Amino acid sequence: MEYKVEKKESVAYGKEVEILGDTYEDGVPEGEELGRWRQKLGSRADKLKYLETGERYWFSKDWYGSEKRKTPA
Amino acid sequence: MKGEGKMAEAKSKSIDAASIKMIEKAARDGVNTAFDRAETMKPCPIGVVGSCCKHCGMGPCRVPLPKGKEETPEEKLKRRGICGATAETIAARNFIRMVAGGASAHSDHGRGVAELFLAAAKGEASGYEIKDEQKLLQLALDLGVEIGERSNNEIAVDIGEICLAEFGKQAGELLFLRRAPLKRQEVWQREGVAPRGIDREIVEIMHRTHIGVDQDYRSLLRQGVRAAIGDGWGGSMIATELQDILFGTPTPVLGKVNLGVLEKDQVNIIIHGHEPLLSEMIVAAAQEPEMVELAKSKGASGINLSGMCCTANEILMRHGVAIAGNFLQQELAITTGAVEAMVVDIQCIMQSIVTVAECYHTKIITTAPKGRIPGARHIEFDEHNAMASARAIVKTAIDNFPNRGSNIEIPEEQTYQVAGFSHETINYLLGGVYRASYRPLNDNIINGRIRGLAGVVGCNNARVQHNYGHVEMVKELIKNDVVVVTTGCNAIACAMAGLMVPEAAAQYAGEGLASVCEAVGIPPVLHMGSCVDNSRILMAAAAMVKDGGLGDDISDLPVAGAAPEWMSEKAISIGQYFVGSGVFTVFGVNWPTLGSPEVTEFLFKEFENMYGGMWAFEPDPIKGAHMMIEHIDKKRKALGIDKARERVLFDMAMRREL
Repeated sequence: MEYKVEKKESVAYGKEVEILGDTYEDGVPEGEELGRWRQKLGSRADKLKYLETGERYWFSKDWYGSEKRKTPA
Repeated sequence: MKGEGKMAEAKSKSIDAASIKMIEKAARDGVNTAFDRAETMKPCPIGVVGSCCKHCGMGPCRVPLPKGKEETPEEKLKRRGICGATAETIAARNFIRMVAGGASAHSDHGRGVAELFLAAAKGEASGYEIKDEQKLLQLALDLGVEIGERSNNEIAVDIGEICLAEFGKQAGELLFLRRAPLKRQEVWQREGVAPRGIDREIVEIMHRTHIGVDQDYRSLLRQGVRAAIGDGWGGSMIATELQDILFGTPTPVLGKVNLGVLEKDQVNIIIHGHEPLLSEMIVAAAQEPEMVELAKSKGASGINLSGMCCTANEILMRHGVAIAGNFLQQELAITTGAVEAMVVDIQCIMQSIVTVAECYHTKIITTAPKGRIPGARHIEFDEHNAMASARAIVKTAIDNFPNRGSNIEIPEEQTYQVAGFSHETINYLLGGVYRASYRPLNDNIINGRIRGLAGVVGCNNARVQHNYGHVEMVKELIKNDVVVVTTGCNAIACAMAGLMVPEAAAQYAGEGLASVCEAVGIPPVLHMGSCVDNSRILMAAAAMVKDGGLGDDISDLPVAGAAPEWMSEKAISIGQYFVGSGVFTVFGVNWPTLGSPEVTEFLFKEFENMYGGMWAFEPDPIKGAHMMIEHIDKKRKALGIDKARERVLFDMAMRREL
């Protein structure tokens, strides 16, 4: 996943800083692409990372849901 | 069968205007349909309550309950088959044989998918490929298959072999059971119902229900749970997962539904049945320029593909192909006179479509070696050359276009729907790529905007008004802030009633549910796919538990299930694995163990102590919905989320107290 970086003048520091830009895609998807989201994950590394976070219920090592809570119920 | 048709009181047969028009047309054309047959042939009152045993040559033995009076102990002792089997044994045997029939249908579908998947991975099935690498990787992680730098096909071969082995496994436990919440796995182990292998548990039902084997209804019903879990968390789940890898995991898609999707000036091909293996190829073949040109050369303006039953759900979920109707509309679609070919594979295909087709020009084309019908043309699906089979089918339909008669009437009714809500897509829609999560759903259940979740699924049944039970139950649930997930013929009924577009939330849902639907942009009724895709509902329920805040097991969740118009053995198997997974499940129409009050009591009450879920029977869909809501409220109370709590802003002193 490539991130956009924008350069802006910092009000606090009075110097140019880099900030994270838009993480959404421009425009509105049309036709075949409408509603499809899985193609946003390009490389195999992206896909595995998504599984670890998005499907963390099964694949994350540091997730604290009902079964991995720090303090057992 | 021309001339035998009878003008039925069409409006009492269906709530759908298009279906009513076609029932009337069938009567005018002298076509006999399931609606007519249901009227002239009443169900056997002994068989319908499970009190008839025909498992050996000494029978059939009928052991009905005495009518209109309480049974005395002496009468009960006499209520036995020739072999001595009691009414309890007979009812339980019949019930779990239905589970075996349903589980075998789903699981054999899963086996067929696994075989094709393996052939595709080995490069032996031209036209098929791995379309969803992410789902492939997901299964590799699930099944412990090495990923590394291996190619998708190398990983897929390992996955295919592991999945195929699940069917014939003799010991241990099915691998997908590990996806269930830990507490649920403990319940299955405690009760001895964790399936060893998919086929083994089905075979064991057939053995136990043979004359003179298992004659303890509790023991029989336990085996029924075991085989059903092998369906939901085994055969069906394998079918869903491998189909997703081969054809893509469903994502939101816009489609149309009802008989109005048929086109008067185009070659209409309806794909009917349950497997997407061949229909995926037919979708591709029908779009080929040579085929479109051929259709034009025959006087048509193009080729119009639509689906029927669960094949329809499969190709809708992945391609947005329109749905012509659900189970009870298969004969009615042919009655339009505008269908060039109805292509069928397996399950829920009425033999009578061949007879109805004789009254028009429609060609019925069977494609599965397991599902043949006398009088139909058979073009066998060859997985090694699937595109050739698909082209032959499409060409047969095109060639039939000039044979159309003048008696054509296509109802104008059709509605839009948004489908494609796989577990993965729900997770994504609720949180996005960076924070995919069930948390918003759980939070909104906890804060009371959403009361709970209901899985409403299942068939049509000609014994009750077509689609009435489905639509009324679902409307009542969403009105009471219960979000509904659906599959199969219920999904098609809901779509026809306009419940599957985001705008339906404002029109039909309670205030709380409508506000959540509006925020997320989803309908209040979510289409999760075909009947094997009920496994997606299991995954969604497991994710809700694992996300936290709603207990430690599926049986803790404020959820319920239903099949208001069930008719097939598959529905009984689905219901049994929902119950065995901890879900309260209500069936409509009739109940197949009413001939034994003990067996019914065991399924309806004692099951809750064992599995956390239990069955219920209620033919009135509104009352059924309220039974589900009552159960959801019971679970909310147990979780302590039944009352809104005062929100208190803690100051430092209060925090120190903590």
